[in-house]
Amino acid sequence: MSISNVSRRNFLKTAGITTGGLVLGVALPVNALAEKGIMKASGSSLNAFIHLAENGDTTLYCGRCEMGQGISTALPSVVADEMEADWQRVTVKQGDADEKFGPQATGGSASIRVMYQPMREAGATAKAMLIAAAAKVWKTSADNCFAQAHFVINKTNQQKLGFGELASIAANMPVPEKPVLKKKSDFNYIGTKLPRHDQNEVVVGKRVYGVDTKLPGLKYAAIVHCPVLGGSLKSLDKTDALKVKGVTDVVEISRFDVPFGSIGGVAVVADNSWTAQQAVKKLKIEWNLGENAVYDTKEYKQQLVANVEKPATLAAERGDIDKAFKAAKHKISATYTGGHLSHAPMEPNASVVWVQKDSCEVWASTQSPVDIQKVLGQYLKREPKEIIVHVAMAGGAFGRKYKCDYVHEAAVISEQTGVPIQLIWSREEDMRTGYYHSINAQYIEASMDDKGNVTGWLHRAAFPSIATLFNPSLVRAPEQNLGDITNHLFGVENFRTESGDAKAHTRIGWYRAVYAIFYGFSFGTFADELANKAGKDSLTFVNQLFDNNKNEKQQAQIQRAKKALATVADKSGYHNRGTLPKGQGIGLAVHYSFQSFVAMAVHVEVKGEDIKVLNVDCAIDCGQVLNLDGATAQMEGAVVMGMSLALSTEITFREGAVVNSNFHNYPVMRITDMPNVRVHITDSDEKPTGLGEPGVAPFAPALSNAVFAASGKRYRDLPFKPLAV
Amino acid sequence: MKQSMIINGKTHEIDVDGDMPLLWFLRDRLEFTGTKFGCGSGLCGACTVHVDGQAIRSCITPVNTLVDKTITTIEGLSENGDHPLQKAWLNNNVPQCGYCQAGQIMNAASLLAVNTAPSEQEIDTAMQGNICRCGTYQRIKKAITEAAHTMYKEV
Repeated sequence: MSISNVSRRNFLKTAGITTGGLVLGVALPVNALAEKGIMKASGSSLNAFIHLAENGDTTLYCGRCEMGQGISTALPSVVADEMEADWQRVTVKQGDADEKFGPQATGGSASIRVMYQPMREAGATAKAMLIAAAAKVWKTSADNCFAQAHFVINKTNQQKLGFGELASIAANMPVPEKPVLKKKSDFNYIGTKLPRHDQNEVVVGKRVYGVDTKLPGLKYAAIVHCPVLGGSLKSLDKTDALKVKGVTDVVEISRFDVPFGSIGGVAVVADNSWTAQQAVKKLKIEWNLGENAVYDTKEYKQQLVANVEKPATLAAERGDIDKAFKAAKHKISATYTGGHLSHAPMEPNASVVWVQKDSCEVWASTQSPVDIQKVLGQYLKREPKEIIVHVAMAGGAFGRKYKCDYVHEAAVISEQTGVPIQLIWSREEDMRTGYYHSINAQYIEASMDDKGNVTGWLHRAAFPSIATLFNPSLVRAPEQNLGDITNHLFGVENFRTESGDAKAHTRIGWYRAVYAIFYGFSFGTFADELANKAGKDSLTFVNQLFDNNKNEKQQAQIQRAKKALATVADKSGYHNRGTLPKGQGIGLAVHYSFQSFVAMAVHVEVKGEDIKVLNVDCAIDCGQVLNLDGATAQMEGAVVMGMSLALSTEITFREGAVVNSNFHNYPVMRITDMPNVRVHITDSDEKPTGLGEPGVAPFAPALSNAVFAASGKRYRDLPFKPLAV
Repeated sequence: MKQSMIINGKTHEIDVDGDMPLLWFLRDRLEFTGTKFGCGSGLCGACTVHVDGQAIRSCITPVNTLVDKTITTIEGLSENGDHPLQKAWLNNNVPQCGYCQAGQIMNAASLLAVNTAPSEQEIDTAMQGNICRCGTYQRIKKAITEAAHTMYKEV
């Protein structure tokens, strides 16, 4: 997904302009605001991200959305580090939708990549202003002062002034043009195992998620959606639903044809969620299903396979692949497939919306408050800025909560009933009304010379693209969706990328790791198949593939990828794999995605049809790590999600509608299958990159390679063991 | 005579439809929101609470089956959030999104009430009904083992 670039200077300049309820003094840009008399001196907001009270209590705002990835600890800890704040004095708050926080749409593993530098500057700016304030009090130079653990200290006489004492003076100090950033060796929190700021609340049940919002006069809604994309309501008999005690309204919601608008449905409003859910079942509804009622994923996947196993639309080309194929010593081809996936976060879609004549206020678990403003603004015909969005902690999201159809629906219901509405989707609606990961097929054909060098690589991919959300008429994935194929780090001189036809029949959306799921799978598995054909071990072969890449611009990336791969080979016992008991094997894979490098070594035991994952070694290079424990947790989680999609989860459509309904027929991984995961993090000074998604991609290929090593059986279709639904 | 149940030490009159699952009585009527809705079918464990000390799925347990019963939710597991499991959860930085963790902790507390030193396999068996989509299982296992040790080391 595209994330707009943040200009550092402009970002900080604009970051403090807007005032909010808690803002007592705003220091950026100081002069303009001082002239307007906005600044008050009882406590101060040193900028949009930092509020410092006179008693020293410090509130740091996180503008990026938290869904469990730990960003609301990672980014504020950077601010605290540069500011020399004492983390024990810090409270983190989630910022409402507001441009003063910079880009808030949270996806693409971009938060750290985009916000690390601005957060450092926000902290360093505050520190400089606090030091300037102390220097003024002591009538000394700023150079004669330094900040440490919530104090500014006078170097000459060791006098100390607390941050709180300095707050209101600091707010009136000029904003430094170019704040000085700390050296890595001076970091207090960056690169440590700082615990999450909110876990104390989690373990006592006090952490408030979107689903937990309570307001006076709140009414509760449940919904049933049109089962097929493009369908509409044919008839509705609401008599029985309205007879249920506690039910107050039945609201029809038309399909709203903007990206992230409702697919259309009927909602029941009641005194509590349970009553609403019961009454929804009593609605008698007939739908016009429309043309997508033909959608059947079993047939569709076969069609995708057919579309990649024949010439398709050229996306990119280099060298002369036909010549390479003619001169080949070996030729090998394989087809890989994958199914739709539902994000299935533990917290189903939920929000509270209150639409009034002059206001609209939203409390939602969301990844993109900006899109809520946009969609509700479009629906209500109001300016996006008029939509107030309080960003709640999301109980998991994985890409699903980037799309605000559920918030739009709550807005429709609130608008029509005139009361604040909490709409919570049932699990069944969540699973059946998704923005699914693309069903997909890939065909790869490659040629090798007698030394095992890959001389030609033809890669065809067919999948309904996320771009169909914005342009439903697309019949195949556009070229930019295939860029990660063409620009893969493997070095193959003669290369062709083709896009196979794949019209969308349902809504397609970003799912944790997105296209890297199937690109990682096809590249990682096919490389192992090639190695086997060439009679080489997989590690040597993949390194050779990297070494054959002579593109200067990719050399640094190649070295990082190779290093991660070497690490997991060393740590997993790959080099001694000959000594493993019969039926066990280790498979390797490395994938570069979202600008991070992740390698995995998966150690399995295969007994008959049974695959047991014993150990997973995972090496990551994401540049400078912000939080060692958070990075580790993201990899543990990525293994679990990788395992679910590699082995068992798949969304099936028949007659246009999703067949799966709940966790009994969408079997996500449970604790019984948890392998021992060991995470190895590269100590790096490179610029930091994100980790929410990159860990997911290498798991499935490493597993396929491990199962092959253990049993000789090759799995090319995700999931390996689909449940018949 | 009005029917009631005891929740976290306090008596609460059952003033809702008797078929209403405990989960919604807790969340929407009493506003104890620590107990979470995940699946509505007893498949994920997010809604786990204790009835007379034993873990149950509150999303499929009607309130009329709980008359005069003693209910404990995550809010009432300990006075100050200092149950050994809660401490072990913090010590191991278990939560990611944290949404399922109340159910995980309540389920684990029920296990440790009857098993002072569960093996890895016993933990797996007891906890397999609790889904964590973020994938914190490795830390959950470790935290349960650690809490068992803390609770029973003097026994």
